Amino acid sequence: MKFTNLPMLCVSLVLCSGSVFSSDESLAIETEVETEILAEGLNHPWSVTFISADEMLVTELSGDLRRVSNGRLNPRPIMGVPEVLFAGQGGLSEVLVDPNFADNSLIYLSFSAPDTDKPKLNQLNVIQARLEGNVLVDHKTLFQSDPPRRTAAHYGARLAFLADGTLLVTSGDGFNYREQAQALDNHFGKIVRINTDGSIPEDNPFTNRPNALPEIWSYGHRNLQGLVIADDGTVYEHEHGPQGGDELNLVLPGKNYGWPAITYGVDYSGAMISPFTEHPDMEQPLKYWDPSIAPSGMILYRGDMFPHWQGNLFISALVPGDVRRLKMQDKQVVEEETLFTEFGRIRNIVSAPDGSLILVTDGEDGKLIRVSAKK
Amino acid sequence: MIKQIQTFLISLIIATFLVVTQTTATNLIWLQSINMPVDMQVVLSAMATDLVDMNSRGAFPVIGLIFVGLLIAFITARIIAIWSSIKKPYLYALAGGAALLAIVALMPLAFYNLDLIAGARTVAGKAYLVVAGMIAGYYFGSHPQQGDSNEIH
Repeated sequence: MKFTNLPMLCVSLVLCSGSVFSSDESLAIETEVETEILAEGLNHPWSVTFISADEMLVTELSGDLRRVSNGRLNPRPIMGVPEVLFAGQGGLSEVLVDPNFADNSLIYLSFSAPDTDKPKLNQLNVIQARLEGNVLVDHKTLFQSDPPRRTAAHYGARLAFLADGTLLVTSGDGFNYREQAQALDNHFGKIVRINTDGSIPEDNPFTNRPNALPEIWSYGHRNLQGLVIADDGTVYEHEHGPQGGDELNLVLPGKNYGWPAITYGVDYSGAMISPFTEHPDMEQPLKYWDPSIAPSGMILYRGDMFPHWQGNLFISALVPGDVRRLKMQDKQVVEEETLFTEFGRIRNIVSAPDGSLILVTDGEDGKLIRVSAKK
Repeated sequence: MIKQIQTFLISLIIATFLVVTQTTATNLIWLQSINMPVDMQVVLSAMATDLVDMNSRGAFPVIGLIFVGLLIAFITARIIAIWSSIKKPYLYALAGGAALLAIVALMPLAFYNLDLIAGARTVAGKAYLVVAGMIAGYYFGSHPQQGDSNEIH
């Protein structure tokens, strides 16, 4: 009889395993801010961008692009969004407005979609389209990750413009293909840099290297879900690591960020991915988190509403669900504060034109929560 | 009964050892291939670490998964053995292989096609793990069980 109890014990161990991390540091700022729910009932909201002072676009991973005007969610999704593969971590991901949006109405979307030739496989796509009223028109595919993958995870899918107008795209390692992050003949675990017409800038770092894809800008990444460009051109990127290996990196063109040859984390199975944490040819993170926080989005705060936070990085985190404020000095993290622990898993964070912060909560009933200075 | 439990636990340890060390080897062989400094000390240390951590530090204990898989498979094999004429070592080898096959095949279905055991990401890796289950099953089937004669089949 004792023998038959062992499976139940084992199942219990499986269900109870995992770690929890919490912090009470947010108490320090609770008297300074007030929060209001701008929108709710969003289906896995992922990305938010402002197209005017009072109007924002929101992607839902399930495939809809939504508009919030004057604090009100338009019940009708924007038409003309391509079909996406909504599975696992895949779906409609980033929305980014063109730096000249006021003149050209161009936006950029990243999403996962089945491969046209092999529909059991899928790939990360980046398109450009023009927003006319409530419809997307003039679609143009700028990037498709290659090779296509079988898995529905680790897409990266963040977009950001460099000051020269070129577009950075983060492309995750696809989970099962992590070793490919160290090879330059594919898009797994890379940041790629392209022009907004889909062409490849001639000054990319690997344009003259044989067997390297010329669009690659940096490599050795895992699942990059935060990407910001500072005013001085510094590129900060954060990536989901394995257990205990979430990283914040300062990214330079042509550099190797080590994954999975060096890492501070271990696999979800508990297995060692690599016994090495450093190598002369590989870059170290500015910071890593152990235990993991599951970083999901990032901004560099430039607003006026919280002047003492200007120049700080804000990172949304899914586990256990909070925002990390990182004070930066000489491109180094000198202070970390945990904020907004009361909203659960936070999928993204953006800064509104008025300087308030917009938190995007994760899940089927996702919310947009505005954080403003208390009046 | 106690002897049967001992035999089962030894077969469980055999399967777990083969599964864990295969993941360790998969990772280290790749690291060696990109000229990372993998020496014997690293190999032994990584193996020892994985044997402990894959059964205690992960989101799921590998030994627990294999325990459940082998238990179901061996009970099923025992029922089949009532009317089957297949020799027990072979029957339990098939059962052990089926248990590991189920683990490596079903896990991706539950997690967006992700292979959470790194050594199971390739077809060759999956095949190796099935063989690991077969070896564990063969060991179990090669030992006398309750109600059996002392004859080794």
